[in-house]
Amino acid sequence: MLTRDRIGALLMLAFSLFYWLQIDEIRVLPFQANAAFTARTIPEILAIMGVALSLVLLFKPGSNEKVQVAGFLWGKAALICLAMVAYGLTVRPAGFLISTSLFLMFGFWVLGERRPVIILAASVPLVVLFWLLMTQVLDVYIAALPAFLEG
Amino acid sequence: MLEGILQGLSTAASPVNLLMVAAGCFVGTFIGMLPGLGPISAIALMIPITYGFDPATGLILMAGVYYGAIFGGSTSSILINAPGVAGTVATAFDGYPMARQGMAGKALAVAAYSSFSGGTIAAVFLLIAAPSLAAVSLAFQSTDYFALMVLGLTAVAAFAGKGNVIKALLMTVLGLMLSTVGTDKGVGVPRFTFGSQSLIDGISFLLLAMATFALSEALMSILRPKTDEDRKKEMEAQKRLGSMKIEKSEVKEMAPVIGRSSVLGFFVGVLPGAGATIASFLAYGMEQRLAGPKKGAEFGKGSIRGLSAPETANNAAASGSFVPLLTLGIPGSGTTAIMLGALLSYGIQPGPRLFQDNPEVFWSVIISMYIGNVILLILNLPLIPYIARVLAIPSNILLPLIVFFSLIGVYFVSFNTFDIHLMVLFAIAAVVLRLLDFPMAPMLLGFILGGMMEENLRRALMINNDSWSFLWERDLTLSILIIAAVVLFVPMIGPRITAALNRRRESAGEGG
Repeated sequence: MLTRDRIGALLMLAFSLFYWLQIDEIRVLPFQANAAFTARTIPEILAIMGVALSLVLLFKPGSNEKVQVAGFLWGKAALICLAMVAYGLTVRPAGFLISTSLFLMFGFWVLGERRPVIILAASVPLVVLFWLLMTQVLDVYIAALPAFLEG
Repeated sequence: MLEGILQGLSTAASPVNLLMVAAGCFVGTFIGMLPGLGPISAIALMIPITYGFDPATGLILMAGVYYGAIFGGSTSSILINAPGVAGTVATAFDGYPMARQGMAGKALAVAAYSSFSGGTIAAVFLLIAAPSLAAVSLAFQSTDYFALMVLGLTAVAAFAGKGNVIKALLMTVLGLMLSTVGTDKGVGVPRFTFGSQSLIDGISFLLLAMATFALSEALMSILRPKTDEDRKKEMEAQKRLGSMKIEKSEVKEMAPVIGRSSVLGFFVGVLPGAGATIASFLAYGMEQRLAGPKKGAEFGKGSIRGLSAPETANNAAASGSFVPLLTLGIPGSGTTAIMLGALLSYGIQPGPRLFQDNPEVFWSVIISMYIGNVILLILNLPLIPYIARVLAIPSNILLPLIVFFSLIGVYFVSFNTFDIHLMVLFAIAAVVLRLLDFPMAPMLLGFILGGMMEENLRRALMINNDSWSFLWERDLTLSILIIAAVVLFVPMIGPRITAALNRRRESAGEGG
């Protein structure tokens, strides 16, 4: 039976095996050929431990609990994840003020806020204040606007 | 010695210096609350400002900023589950559940009192034992550090597993695996970078902590729909959000925890390395073990002991980390490294001669650190009810803000948009692992200690001519490893032995 523990064990086993396979890509320098400790030593120990522990978790008698996801709002969470990805793509080209304000407004809207005044008031002033704090007080440079507007 | 202490006290208690420490605490708290800016960045930001001051005033301002930033970091850990620095990860385990239950004010007050007590007790130790402790910290070799880190990891795996130690161990291994990403520190070859320049420096702690704690928590809150009962509970909880009232029985419960965690924290802090982090995790594990099965089960669900222990220990360790700095000139942590830079910029050379040549500087640094601690308590306690109100913001506004602060905190450190995408990936993975009931804390500690563990193991092998025999030949190393094994195996075997004993007793009862 595919219990919560077994799904976890299989995922960890797959990750550990993938990690193990990647160890071959780590270069061992010629003078290290016979050394007791190389750049591969710790990864090899960890890969073996990962596989062994995953197998123990897979085969040991454990709880029969299944994953509880009934009623979860996957759509909303997926939209927030997409918004984060989009924010990462736009924060440089569109500038901090525009991309961050849009990200926050979209986030509020996805989570059910529909009043335009609240959406605007909780995003734009905060973003401007935060930008002023970082650039003027803490001296961290952040491009406020898109490159073509900054001149 | 007494003369030096009095001289240090008179310097630190002048009106200008008291004003400086108060300003430092306020600014530090504010900076520390921003994700990505911990005590290191806060002090670094202050160095140029303090150039014009005399050394004592400059150091006193920095002491205020230091303690303020530590408290600010605990605040974001407790309120939004966003530990900005490694030392406050354990604070979130019980602080955040307390805040969710409507006890944010109380949690912040417990954190403030515990930090203060930890700092006070450690300051007394510092006064009494600093010079002689330096010799002890020198006795630790890389083999012992390696063993100490193994102990830290096993202690966390044992307590965070909540009955499922295998899962906790797997997460520790996962954290250690993630710490191997990037350029190998020994010979400089890239590992697991998949040809990406962005991974050459490895994964940053802040990125992993924000993604697996703050972001994944925000995503979990979005995923789980709120029932009417949840809303009712939230309304009830918000009424007592700012209350800082701590019951007499709770004070009685906290007092021994604070005593033990201060001692543990201070002595772990004296050892150069990940002092405050290891100290906070060890104190948490120790208190859970000592609390007994009933009280121990409350850990992770909003236990006062579980919040008080790491908060006390990380502050005590922060004071302890000044021992190697002031007596040997060795900075044991990132923060003390910055402080070393500041001391050097004033023409003060910390080291064995400082105590003899400039006792007034030695003592004024120690006393100014302590005054920072006192002022912080006086200044921040009245602010707690207002800080706690952050949680009264409706979740449809608060959650996107948490996501934004987490992302931007990491982005502002690296200015690499790749980090934002990596955070999303880690946050999704963390949500999946949390749904499968895997604990996050061992993974994060494994990640923090991974690099140092590898470094110490490499050095130990070099010193021992590539022989692994140091693991059993050096007494101190062997003793620490045995403690680690006991910590790990007792919770696995203990319940079975108890069950077997009970069975035997029952059958004897039937027979008799």
